[in-house]
Amino acid sequence: MWTLIEYGAWALSALFALHMIYDWYRTDTTYSEEVLTSSREGEIEAMTEEHRI
Amino acid sequence: MADFDITSKSMDGIASHGTKVGLARVLGPAHVWALGVGIVLVGEYMGWNFAVGKGGAYAALIACWFAGILYSCVAMIDSEVTSTVAAAGGQYTQAKHIVGPLMAFNVGLYLVFAYTMLEAGNAITLGYLISVAADMTGATQALDQRPFIILSIVFLAWLNYRGVLATLTFNLVITAFAFCAILVLFVASAPWSADSPLAHAELMSGQAALPYGWLGVLAAMHFGLWFYLGIEGTTQAAEEVRSPARSLPFGTLAGIMTLLIAATLTWYICVGFLPWEYLGDGVNGAVAPLFSAAQMTGSNALVIILGFGTLFATLASANGCINDASRAWFSMGRDHYLPQWFGAVHPTYRTPYRSIIFLVPIALIFALGAPLDQVITFSILSGLLGYTFMPINIILFRRKWPLDTIKRGYVHPFHPIPALVLLALCSLTYFAVFLGYGTQLIAMVSFYIVVSLWFHFWRYRFVKRADQFTMPWPKPRGY
Amino acid sequence: MARYIPPPQSKLGQVIDVIVLLVLSIGALYIPLWMGLAGSAKAPIVVDNPTWESLGQNPTMVERWNQLGFADPASAHDMITARFDYSFTWGAMALMVVVIVGYFALMLRLSEKEYREVIAEKFERR
Repeated sequence: MWTLIEYGAWALSALFALHMIYDWYRTDTTYSEEVLTSSREGEIEAMTEEHRI
Repeated sequence: MADFDITSKSMDGIASHGTKVGLARVLGPAHVWALGVGIVLVGEYMGWNFAVGKGGAYAALIACWFAGILYSCVAMIDSEVTSTVAAAGGQYTQAKHIVGPLMAFNVGLYLVFAYTMLEAGNAITLGYLISVAADMTGATQALDQRPFIILSIVFLAWLNYRGVLATLTFNLVITAFAFCAILVLFVASAPWSADSPLAHAELMSGQAALPYGWLGVLAAMHFGLWFYLGIEGTTQAAEEVRSPARSLPFGTLAGIMTLLIAATLTWYICVGFLPWEYLGDGVNGAVAPLFSAAQMTGSNALVIILGFGTLFATLASANGCINDASRAWFSMGRDHYLPQWFGAVHPTYRTPYRSIIFLVPIALIFALGAPLDQVITFSILSGLLGYTFMPINIILFRRKWPLDTIKRGYVHPFHPIPALVLLALCSLTYFAVFLGYGTQLIAMVSFYIVVSLWFHFWRYRFVKRADQFTMPWPKPRGY
Repeated sequence: MARYIPPPQSKLGQVIDVIVLLVLSIGALYIPLWMGLAGSAKAPIVVDNPTWESLGQNPTMVERWNQLGFADPASAHDMITARFDYSFTWGAMALMVVVIVGYFALMLRLSEKEYREVIAEKFERR
């Protein structure tokens, strides 16, 4: 029985890994690099606090 | 207010430049607690017992409490700084704003190493646990642990990839279970009744009291850190918490209190059940001490509960580690400290997906290739370097921005006493590590020296100078 | 002070930087392992013809050892008598102190230099 579970674990690992890689590939080809890396640090803080009088 | 077009359809109008894709702010204080405690609680289920081997049972308790003081200082200092620096990257971002870019680069690497090594350690324990389960259910041949180690890391990476809310809600549930399992074992061993199976007086008498004398107490500090290592990871969630100034101090301080209770109970239970020589040998003896203690009770129900407790604790911890290590790596990519390619956010799941994927093979290399106590030592050393940074950080923070210049969500009491206590305890722990693992200590610090020079003289040229300073703070005093 | 504009980095350059970092870090972690310098092994202090008494075990401890599957003193001997060696030389300790203090001193100095640049550029623009 445990041999089967071992094979199952291998298969599931491969499945999760492949799904991630597939989605990674799809995302990188769908969106431009500029959109993907447009996150900036401290965004909400910048909006609520960076006002000067 | 900054100038941007609030009617724009493509920009969501957050921040002065507008943004298209950022991390999602969805978490509450309970998630912060789950992230902090979830990473650490596995330390109660495995690893801390090396401290018993280093100096005996009493030494482990003294180390547990001194490490508790160390981490209380860490949690207080961290809470104050992070309640004002609310960005992914935690201590890395703090260092960038308070000490300087090179320090920040080093701190970022400490974080990534500490968490990736801890993740590898968790996977190793999980593999062991599955093999024990196979033995107990009558497997005829020795189990191949590798597929289970790989599966745990890949599955959790996948979960992290798919979004932070689900990831940390999952963590909340399994962490709460693992914590309750410790309470159940404590109650079941009935320490108040006369016929309790716990035999502290007998097991800790004679040569078992302090087998190495007071030097052993010092040496035990090395693995004493393992009771709490990782609680500082709460700050990594700063950019995904709904109200960081309130949730982060609350979640972090609640977390350290939970851990102080769990650590002391764990010590009490295990030491009462197992001879210290067995308990302290985490390789051939008690790999998972709470689980071993449950086996000593002879109750199948307890064995199952604590078995699942151990399993969940390792999963919760590995999960939190993937979360934290990838946030730190991501933040460094975003600032061009590392190639900017890593600074990408997934447009649908809002997670730093490239960093998550990149760290999977690295965790696997160590989970499959290195022994448990080594992996733990790497993790502890990186953590220790990070704790040494914190007193420097808070002293400079208070000096450059005194209390009346920035509003803090939480102000820690008795400054600078916690900083000095922390520094003193860190020095003690360096000595403790030196007693057993001097070579690694020197190798690791040499690595950081080389990498620091590489960063200063090569990598830093790709970093925009003023743009790294993102907090809306006034100019620091003395500059 | 003029605003510093960083040069763009090519894809290949990015890949090389990652590889450099990986080689350095895996090297630092695995070299002590390969050289066999890592960690302190416990060595058993041999007791001839061990009995539970000569191993310093009282009746409660013996009962626990039996429960753990160590039926006789000989089987538990190695685990019970294993001890770490905590002896060290002051020279090695001095080396450790120099390396750690030196590391932090170096890092704080270089950081401070970079930090002044950052602050100067950031607050000059306002």
